Amino acid sequence: MTTANPAEAQSAAVRGRARRQREEELLVWPDLVFIEFISAVVFTVLLVGLAVTVDAILLDRANPAVTPNPSKAPWYFLNLQELLLHMHPALAGVVVPTIALIALGAIPYWDTDNEGQGEWLSGPRDWLNVGVGAAVASIGTLMLILFDDGMHAKIYESLTGSKFPISWLVNMREFQKNFPLWPTCTPETLKDGSCALGPLEWAKSIPLGKVLRTDLLGLPALDLNVNIPAVLVEQIIPVTMMVGLPILLSLVAYKRGIAQTKREHMILQFSGFIAVYVTLTIVGTYFRGQGLALGPYTIFAHQ
Amino acid sequence: MAATERPTRRSMGDRLYDAIFSNRVWRSIFRSGYPNTPRNQMLAVATNVFLHLHPTRIHRTHVKITHTFCLGGLSFFLFLGLTISGVLLMFYYVPSVERAYEDILRLDTDVRFGQLMRNMHRWMAHGMVLTVLMHMMRVFYTGAYKPPREFNWVVGVVLLVLTLLLSFTGYLLPWDQLALWAITVGTNMVGSAPLLGEPNRFVLVGGFQVGQNALIRFYTLHVIGLPLMAAVFMTVHFWRIRRDGGLAKPL
Ligand code: HEM
Repeated sequence: MTTANPAEAQSAAVRGRARRQREEELLVWPDLVFIEFISAVVFTVLLVGLAVTVDAILLDRANPAVTPNPSKAPWYFLNLQELLLHMHPALAGVVVPTIALIALGAIPYWDTDNEGQGEWLSGPRDWLNVGVGAAVASIGTLMLILFDDGMHAKIYESLTGSKFPISWLVNMREFQKNFPLWPTCTPETLKDGSCALGPLEWAKSIPLGKVLRTDLLGLPALDLNVNIPAVLVEQIIPVTMMVGLPILLSLVAYKRGIAQTKREHMILQFSGFIAVYVTLTIVGTYFRGQGLALGPYTIFAHQ
Repeated sequence: MAATERPTRRSMGDRLYDAIFSNRVWRSIFRSGYPNTPRNQMLAVATNVFLHLHPTRIHRTHVKITHTFCLGGLSFFLFLGLTISGVLLMFYYVPSVERAYEDILRLDTDVRFGQLMRNMHRWMAHGMVLTVLMHMMRVFYTGAYKPPREFNWVVGVVLLVLTLLLSFTGYLLPWDQLALWAITVGTNMVGSAPLLGEPNRFVLVGGFQVGQNALIRFYTLHVIGLPLMAAVFMTVHFWRIRRDGGLAKPL
């Protein structure tokens, strides 16, 4: 311990504290170096064992003409690929990961209180927040995925034998196809009274066209033709979910007294984030088969 | 622990001991004697460039396995192992679409220990992604990102990204169907960004399709660009751990 101010260093209190800290300390050699050495040996042995028993995969030679079905990114990106199935590709592939990384990096600048550091989950409600965050987030994610797969409609159909009555609530694609529901009346349907709710075709292409001339800057031209149902389903709803649900979780946890301090909210949200990441990765890895339809899958099906 | 200059053990091996640890060659390399006194133990750490990554003393809770689960250290260990096995793989691998796949095949069939080397590299790469993610979780749950360690957490996030990119660029190199299409899917995600996505994808892939240009770009990034960056950020990471007063401890 070096202290900046020599006068201060003289004070008995400081010396007392320094001594107490000394007593709490161990020598790196041998105490730490020994552990490091042993774990290096253990993991070398484990890795050699693994490498001897399990071979790295090698499929057929790359062939741009043959697209495997399904084509999958490396496993640690399968969470993003899973997101891709539920929202606009720019959102899933770029915006969400960028914001997630920035938010991750910003954690220490949010939670600046240095209470509770240096110990595993030392607060009284910390573990509770881990549990609640992880459980809510993983179950919630699964439910959203199953909803988008029309699981409720499938269950309804297998139970009753008839088609799910509300066709636009089967999944988001159906919703998009039928949105906005609007009386689509023609003179004929008005006359015979069969004027029904249906999608408005004009909403699917609002020709804002090339309003922003990005091409003049040497960038790709930006096509601003707006498809309102698509924007709603691929962007507005997912963003609302991804922002709204975590906020809702924190609010409920706050009201119920589960998360009070900033650190507790951090633990709640971080655990939720990890749970979503893991859930999406597992679903993307093991439960997306041909055409990325939901169903059990392993890479070895390729061979 | 009173610091004594004399070895604590006075046994019949004294002369042998002196011959080994007090001769001019040993002293020229290690400066201090065998680390069996507190003074020599501290000198062993302080005067050795590799061990000097550590302080000479650490808080007693930090040597408990359950405090860190060795995860940061394991990530670093895997990085070193990947460097070594990677250099060996480079002896046999030519990053061209004509040869890459055959080179990997030959590695698996003709090269002595080639398959083992490739397996090691592959499993360590997967392992490193896992250990880095788990290390991040351990740092989070021990509240070790709090002041004054904010910036080191940010450095960590950069290291996480670099680790993922290292793994991703390596994924293309075997040039099999898995590699080609995983990278196609992955780079298409980049391409989907508004406005700058497509130009970025073009730069990354070096064309409209994953082909020879992409292979050489990924290879170069994988074997030199990204490892160098990772090494630089790890240097900062380790330096900052020491500057921030070692690992976080309870107040
Ligand atoms: C290549 C990746 C990385 C390597 C090799 C690495 C290595 C290490 C090592 C060896 C330690 C010492 C303690 C321990 O083993 O846990 C450490 C501590 C730390 N790491 Fe990392 N790390 C990496 C990535 C990360 C990431 C992704 C984060 C966070 C986002 C992070 C944040 C930290 C912080 C804040 C500490 C200080 C912990 C404390 O004071 O208790 N590191 N790192």
